[in-house]
Amino acid sequence: MSRSVTRFRYLLGEAADNIKANRTTTVLAVATTTFTMLGMGVFLLLYLNAQEALGSLKEEIKVVVYLRDSVPSREIVQLRSELSRDPAVAAVEFVSREQALATFRTQFPSEERLLNGLGDNPFPASLVVKVGPAHRSSEQVGTLVQKLKALAEVDEVLYSQDWIDNLAVAVRYLRVLGMGIGVVLAASMVTILANTIKLTLYARREEIEILKLIGATTGFIKMPFVLEGALLGGAGAACSLLLLRGLFGLAESKLALKGTFWGVGRGLAFLPDRVTVAFLLLGVMLGCLGSLVSLIQFRDARS
Amino acid sequence: MIEFFHVSKSYHGRPALQDVSLTIEKGEFVFLTGSSGAGKTTLLRLIFCADAPDEGQILVNGRNLLHLKKSAVPLLRRTMGFVFQDFRLLPKKTVFENVALALKVSGVPEGVLRVKTTETLGAVGLGHKGNALPLTLSAGEQQRVCLARAIVNDPQVLLADEPTGNLDAELSGEILDLMKAVNARGTTVLLATHNRDLWRRVRRRVVRLEQGRVVEDGCPEV
Repeated sequence: MSRSVTRFRYLLGEAADNIKANRTTTVLAVATTTFTMLGMGVFLLLYLNAQEALGSLKEEIKVVVYLRDSVPSREIVQLRSELSRDPAVAAVEFVSREQALATFRTQFPSEERLLNGLGDNPFPASLVVKVGPAHRSSEQVGTLVQKLKALAEVDEVLYSQDWIDNLAVAVRYLRVLGMGIGVVLAASMVTILANTIKLTLYARREEIEILKLIGATTGFIKMPFVLEGALLGGAGAACSLLLLRGLFGLAESKLALKGTFWGVGRGLAFLPDRVTVAFLLLGVMLGCLGSLVSLIQFRDARS
Repeated sequence: MIEFFHVSKSYHGRPALQDVSLTIEKGEFVFLTGSSGAGKTTLLRLIFCADAPDEGQILVNGRNLLHLKKSAVPLLRRTMGFVFQDFRLLPKKTVFENVALALKVSGVPEGVLRVKTTETLGAVGLGHKGNALPLTLSAGEQQRVCLARAIVNDPQVLLADEPTGNLDAELSGEILDLMKAVNARGTTVLLATHNRDLWRRVRRRVVRLEQGRVVEDGCPEV
């Protein structure tokens, strides 16, 4: 235990010395890593929020059934009761013409003048049908809508499925695009860090030679450089997270995105804690990878 | 301790060692002499596995270096100490850290490391220079640091390649005395030098190389 601690402290100290000895290169490497990882972070944030919004929408798939004005209240009650028994339906809510008008007035107070030329109340009564969790696929919702459209009491049926499907496709594209860009950014980050470590390796060539002579194993020689890569990658990831948090705060306040994500879901959310930790670990891992790439190319580091 | 059997080695077609057979017993102090390019450094490099022979076999402590795995090379080197003409000290580390490094690579615990490093620095007369940086020391002191690093882990063999090449006669004498002291403790010493004065000072075995061949091997009359 004591030996391992001594050795690890030494190796970490060597990594820190490497960083201190090449301050300018280190600053440049961390800055480049920060912006590279910021790019990844922005995509991750967009993707996770879009995913979250999609999830929220899927939870609330509603079909709005507009009723003909001629349908008497008794039949509406009966229709509501029949729909409630349908296994695909989770809940049915009745919205009277008066309620619809009141809602419009609350939501769009500036559009009051639109109503003036349309008589007393242009809104039809409706039934808002919430689809059950097990019946939310496009096909199942489509079947339910066809069934509702066929009813004599129904004038029109509107539902959000198409929009949700489109959003789902957009989220899938975003994921593929994000992964593609992420891979490119990760590769460039590895290359940048590999070159930084390579500079350190060349600067410490003589030292490596001495270490080999006095019986240092390949692991002992390489470890400080791997740790240096990990520290640079981790520092870059941490800085990018701080920047991302700042940008996120700015977007929330300046773009009025607080509350909802463009009117959908529970609003914008920053990266969850576990994703933040994973993001930091990704930085550390990419840093290590950069070091390993440079060490593979630098044959002299082998004992 | 060290045995060479018909060892040959060439670099880019130019022979550096040709059919060298040699036995160095445990605890011996051997001078390896010859003009520049005679093959002294090559012979040392083959012993610590920096190079492999083209032909022949080398045994160190009964182990055939030809069959030594790459991963075992660091362990072999930990049984040896090295002293070079150009010292090869780490300029940004203190004298103490330079010497302690040889123990650190072997994973020696911090407490033992401190004691052994302090003792060894004292033995080479640099007990008071532990915190100094190598470049602030004289050439003789730097070579003593190099010697301290070579012997701090009690090696079985001490290999020295022109250790007095950068030193005047007086300092060379001091280094030689320290090496004799190391040898007196049982460490086998193989000292490569083209400086005749050095081996004439002490009555020890001298192996002379010329153009990669052993041309003389024995204890010359002083």
